[in-house]
Amino acid sequence: MPPIDCEDQELLEGFLTETTELLEKLDDDLVALEKFTDDADLLNRIFRSIHTVKGASSFLGFDLLVKVTHKTEDVLNRLRKGELLVTPEIMDVILEATDLVKVLVSDIKAGDIQEREIDGTISKLLPLLSEAAANLNPTVLGVNQSNPEQSSQETEKTEPITSDASNAAAVEQEIPSVPVQKTGGEMVPKKAATPPKAAEGKSDDLSDNTTVRVDVKRLDDLMNQVGELVLERNRMIQINQNLQQGMENKLDFNEEFGKLTKRMNFVTSELQMQVLKMRMLPVEKVFKKFPRIVRSMARDLGKEVNLVILGEETELDRSVVDEIGDPLIHLIRNAMDHGLETPEVRVEAGKPRSGTLILAAVHEGNQIIISIKDDGNGIDTERVGRKAVEKGLITEDQLAAMSQREMFDLIFLPGFSTKEKATDLSGRGVGMDVVKTNIKKLNGLIDIKSEKGQGSEFILRLPLTLAIIQSLLVEVEGEVYSIPLSSVLETLRVDQRQFHVIGNQEVLKLRDIVLPLVRLETIFKVQRKYEPDDFCYVVVVGSADKRMGLVVTRLVGQQEVAIKSLGNYLANVPGIAGSTILGDGRVALIVDPVGLVDGGEGSSGR
Amino acid sequence: MTSALVPVKTDESNGDLIQLVSFNLDQEEYGVDVLKVREIIRMPVVTRVPNTPHYVEGVINLRGKVIPIISMRKRFGLMEVDSDKQTRIMVMDVEGELMGFIVDAVSEVIRISGSEIQPSPAVVASGLDQECIAGVINQAERLLVLLDLEKMFSSEERNLFGSL
Repeated sequence: MPPIDCEDQELLEGFLTETTELLEKLDDDLVALEKFTDDADLLNRIFRSIHTVKGASSFLGFDLLVKVTHKTEDVLNRLRKGELLVTPEIMDVILEATDLVKVLVSDIKAGDIQEREIDGTISKLLPLLSEAAANLNPTVLGVNQSNPEQSSQETEKTEPITSDASNAAAVEQEIPSVPVQKTGGEMVPKKAATPPKAAEGKSDDLSDNTTVRVDVKRLDDLMNQVGELVLERNRMIQINQNLQQGMENKLDFNEEFGKLTKRMNFVTSELQMQVLKMRMLPVEKVFKKFPRIVRSMARDLGKEVNLVILGEETELDRSVVDEIGDPLIHLIRNAMDHGLETPEVRVEAGKPRSGTLILAAVHEGNQIIISIKDDGNGIDTERVGRKAVEKGLITEDQLAAMSQREMFDLIFLPGFSTKEKATDLSGRGVGMDVVKTNIKKLNGLIDIKSEKGQGSEFILRLPLTLAIIQSLLVEVEGEVYSIPLSSVLETLRVDQRQFHVIGNQEVLKLRDIVLPLVRLETIFKVQRKYEPDDFCYVVVVGSADKRMGLVVTRLVGQQEVAIKSLGNYLANVPGIAGSTILGDGRVALIVDPVGLVDGGEGSSGR
Repeated sequence: MTSALVPVKTDESNGDLIQLVSFNLDQEEYGVDVLKVREIIRMPVVTRVPNTPHYVEGVINLRGKVIPIISMRKRFGLMEVDSDKQTRIMVMDVEGELMGFIVDAVSEVIRISGSEIQPSPAVVASGLDQECIAGVINQAERLLVLLDLEKMFSSEERNLFGSL
């Protein structure tokens, strides 16, 4: 492999971004192809992607890459010409080849080009190219036009289209649209016809999250907002000066300052919205890798799965997008492995052969809701409970006292697994724990709905952004704490004499439920400042079926606050999720209600 | 300045002049490498953080950044005193993170050369952990204890923290 000199560096970068992007899409398309075997457009698109990668890599001299893509292209070509039919076996090979291409590309990306073993994959592709492999009526004469020498040479001439000149005319119409260089042409110094389009290649992709592509319009809007902010600042300086010099009387000042405050408030919230919008990414970024994962898992497990993706255009903050990938993979695995049954079992149970897995994202107020729903056999709470006892995670007594809902939650315990044996896919009891931890880290909640025999649904509720939240400020004996509004269900003013004590646990009878209470002053060891008062406020926090009341001295109000981390050193203080800075410059701690709910449950259960 | 001193890390460069910020804590004088000190501020309002070790005083708002504050007196097991006009917070860079340390007073920046640092005697100031003492500087009439704050939080302690 020729070393890449710096002149070509730009070219190379263009190649890498473009290829990565193409490959990402390719996975999706390939999986789709398996479903819609006769979709000519789709097949052509796949063909073009591989072709573009091939052309570019041959231009840059990545021989291994050329070899693999070339053979893959040949196979695709035969599919396209109808000499081969799309079968899962062929798709396996093509996907394997695509994976190999990915490995090779990542080698190049790492600047560490290695001699990889590629013959294995190529040898799987070769049989598909022989005449005999035609699994279709061989009337269409399969001229094996893809003599390797010929087409790769031609690509080197950077006229990739011509290599297909010998193909059917219909194909030629399809292809020219692809490798023609786009606006980035001027960035490619010598051979203008090189497929990598540097400009296009800069688009955002998941594997490179350090740069953002922002709509120029949004940027202009932002600039306008900043302009307004500057005006308001100048006005503020002016008002201050006038006041200092005694040129303005108090009444005028009050009025002016009031107006200014309003405008500032308006401009900053606009600005905040704009910046937030720029940080938003469609959740598609994460979702698009799932069809491939689902497909290969379905093949491994011998199950038939229909993956339905809804609401992939839903936007959420980059920081959240980065974090939900892993938990979602685990949940999908879980649904595929534990949820969905094999085709035989399904037919027996009177369900359609192939299972359905629905992955959906939707906005709801200030939250995004992602649900993973399968129509498998649901969670067998009895079995789950038994296993948990067997593994020593809970005791018999605890199990007996558990509600259905609490039993669902058992699957999140670290070390829990219903599998007798750990497999590649699952069984170590790690996955669901990862899900729980990651979602908690994102300040999110998980709900499980499951009906035996009908399937289960995992519902993730995540905040739209991690940077700014709505919060309820409360005072506990003089100290101000902030509680994320997303987890506050209601607030009450109650007479402490209405509290009951069950065991060591203070509870409040609230309508028809018994609400366990936690005194923030106790768990946060706040020093008493006020005389004990009969009345106090209770902030009810939690999710639908896990609630608790936080007892506080006073409610301060609702405020939008920017979250500040406490740094690594104080990252894991129990019950505290972070901090924020109040209007007066003081720091207020943000309570972690999810942590409290969990912790509270744990201690009361014991 | 006839003094010479070397923080642990620059042992090789014995002849080099290094600069220390010296501060007081219960009659004793201590020094830390000036390059580690970001700024020295007066006591602001400190927000207490519950369920942390007793020597974590809390957190403060340092121009929009929230940083933890450690009481040196409590950390070293010295008698607690109320803060007065002399009390300062030294904001330091500890392994890439800003942290504030409350000290009784900050006196000056002194220059010493590496050769003047002596290994610490077996027992130094009461309650002071041996491992965060990088050495002792013995000048004419003053004795300066050189601290290495990165060592102040043993890995054990960090983990304990992490798992809290």
